[in-house]
Amino acid sequence: MEGRPLDDLALVERARTGDVNAYEALVQQYQQLAYRVAYQVTRDAADAEDAAQEAFVNAYYALGRFRAGAPFKPWLCRIVANEARNRRMAAHRRTALAERAHQAQASGEAAPSPEAAAEAGEFRAALVETLGRLREDDRLILSYRLFFDFSEADMAEALMVPKGTVKSRLSRALGRLRAALPADFQLPSGGAASG
Amino acid sequence: MAEPRRLTDVELEGALRDLGPRYPYPPTPNLAAAVRRRIVARPVVPVRRLALWRDPRRLALAAAAVLVLAGAAVLINPTTRNAIAHFFHVPGVIVSRVSPLPSLSPVTPLDLGRRTTMADAQSTVSFPIAVPSSLGTPDGVYVDSGLPGGQVALAYMPRPGIPLVQQTGLGVLITEFRGDLIPGFLAKEVGPSTTLEETSVNGNPAWWIAGAPHVLVTRIGDMDYPVSLRMAANTLIWEHGGVTYRIESGLSKADAIQVAAGLP
Repeated sequence: MEGRPLDDLALVERARTGDVNAYEALVQQYQQLAYRVAYQVTRDAADAEDAAQEAFVNAYYALGRFRAGAPFKPWLCRIVANEARNRRMAAHRRTALAERAHQAQASGEAAPSPEAAAEAGEFRAALVETLGRLREDDRLILSYRLFFDFSEADMAEALMVPKGTVKSRLSRALGRLRAALPADFQLPSGGAASG
Repeated sequence: MAEPRRLTDVELEGALRDLGPRYPYPPTPNLAAAVRRRIVARPVVPVRRLALWRDPRRLALAAAAVLVLAGAAVLINPTTRNAIAHFFHVPGVIVSRVSPLPSLSPVTPLDLGRRTTMADAQSTVSFPIAVPSSLGTPDGVYVDSGLPGGQVALAYMPRPGIPLVQQTGLGVLITEFRGDLIPGFLAKEVGPSTTLEETSVNGNPAWWIAGAPHVLVTRIGDMDYPVSLRMAANTLIWEHGGVTYRIESGLSKADAIQVAAGLP
């Protein structure tokens, strides 16, 4: 679960004075987001875990230069993404076998019919696979906005880009995703939300 | 089946929003315990703000403090990180005098990049890797391709005449990177018990940072957090041909300069 910004501020202030319990509470609140952001960059479970852990440790020691009153979430994500990039570069030759295996195991949710479930599952698998082929920057901006529901301000902070450019970057990333999708890719019957 | 057609942005966004909660992430590990263990093992309050370069006046003050210490009577008005870096004649490096020094564990990860062969390292970085003739083949070669131009680190184990350095667990650690491409990549915070001395290596201006361990911060661009941060031992640092060299060791100044002079 993510914390509310006001709660975050209080916890950050306490952590800045060396309150380890306060920082641990922040870690618990943001570990899922941090891990998933890292995973979007590394595409590797072990690297994502290392990156997220390292990012939390580095963020703790960098709290002294965290701008008072600024939102913690995008600042943390920036550190996470950077740590994840470091690991991805070190492991760039590794394939995404683990992810493929995971996809193969991904369970289907309750569905109106076996045909619709298969269709929706295939659709999502194609989307995941195509996202995996995108540039990491595109994957991150799409994830921040559409998976993690970041505001434009938070996206700008997390991506270290001017706020005014977020929309156009997102649009370009969507365009590249569309271009990378298989030619016969289409929404499953009943729309993407079914399944 | 309908004819395939291009999805609109709205449809694609909808499809991604739908995918979000179903994305096949591996289960999130519990990080809190490990993070807690690590920060408790380094019982310090978080470091103070380091970003002096964001405020030209403070930057000038910091520069002036170092100038006084270095005994250099030169009038400067630095306004950028680059100005500082060039003033020190060591591109990519900013040195600032702070008191008290942030408290860090004496031994923290070195973050040197991935271990590799000399040939692979050479094919990764954009400058010729220099190996000191007096030390010979390094015991370990590490490369970090995440920086502009890359960075190579040559590690030598302690041996007779080369004492163990507690901060690195090594005898000698040499790092080389394109200081001309990464202004302010290395920030060094030195406390009152560390001396800063201007010297030279093969005619290139150099700095000898010795005495009490100092804080080494690496960062790229204007990120307001360090890529890494650790305590460092005696260091000789200089630049030649756009490449910034750094030798960290327990050697005397004369011996460090001798090692440096043997770099082609």
